[in-house]
Amino acid sequence: MRKFSVNTDNKKTTPTDEQVKRQKDFARLHHEYELLTKRGKKPLYKDPKLFMLLFIIGLVLFLLFMESEG
Amino acid sequence: MKKRKNIEKLSETEIIVLAKKDGKYFGVLYDHYFEQIFRFCFKRLGGMEDTAGDITQQVFIKAMANLNKYEDRGLPFSSWLYRIAQNEVSMFFRKQKKNYTVPVDENRIQDLASEANLSSYMSMDDQQQLVELLNGLEDDHMDLIELRFFQEMSFKEIAAIYGITEANAKMRTYRILERLGKKWKDSK
Repeated sequence: MRKFSVNTDNKKTTPTDEQVKRQKDFARLHHEYELLTKRGKKPLYKDPKLFMLLFIIGLVLFLLFMESEG
Repeated sequence: MKKRKNIEKLSETEIIVLAKKDGKYFGVLYDHYFEQIFRFCFKRLGGMEDTAGDITQQVFIKAMANLNKYEDRGLPFSSWLYRIAQNEVSMFFRKQKKNYTVPVDENRIQDLASEANLSSYMSMDDQQQLVELLNGLEDDHMDLIELRFFQEMSFKEIAAIYGITEANAKMRTYRILERLGKKWKDSK
């Protein structure tokens, strides 16, 4: 709940330029936004296309390894 | 991404269209409106810098997340941001378990008193009494009085925040002032 009071202590109710500068941070905003929006993203190995690509790369490496061994 | 200089040449509507496609462009809108929104929150919170900073960040995160829902209806983009900020600060007040005190400058109370035709001069006791009456108002009435007299917004700006006409904003404010005046007379 909010209550108003008379500003008898002459508390500053408008920010200084220094305070504005201190709070302005787009990098932080972007980071927080990414964290919020990308939270539900599927892990890489659960993506069928990416899984196939990783499988093929693994297979090629395995065949190359077998070739060099043979 | 386009070069900064090129972006600054674009109109606000064009920047919003780009920002809807790529979040990086939202930075231009952030740079442009951060100070205005931060000052608004800071004042509404009675000078709590860190809380105002956190709420302002929250406002821009919500704006960024909902930018696709934003429609240009001829109102300034800032009024959409102010509306989000207004809701965020009100939500913050509602979450507070104890009363959150917002100090108001004497000049602003004096302006309110003369607009409500209460008195041309208000002693400290009178000011305290008026503030007590204000604290007895419903939340949405308090908000309107706050926007008009403590945030010193025009009726046009208030109308844009609430999505109502300027005449309606004026009428609502003066009705509240009328009620306040009646309560003031009854208390004397």
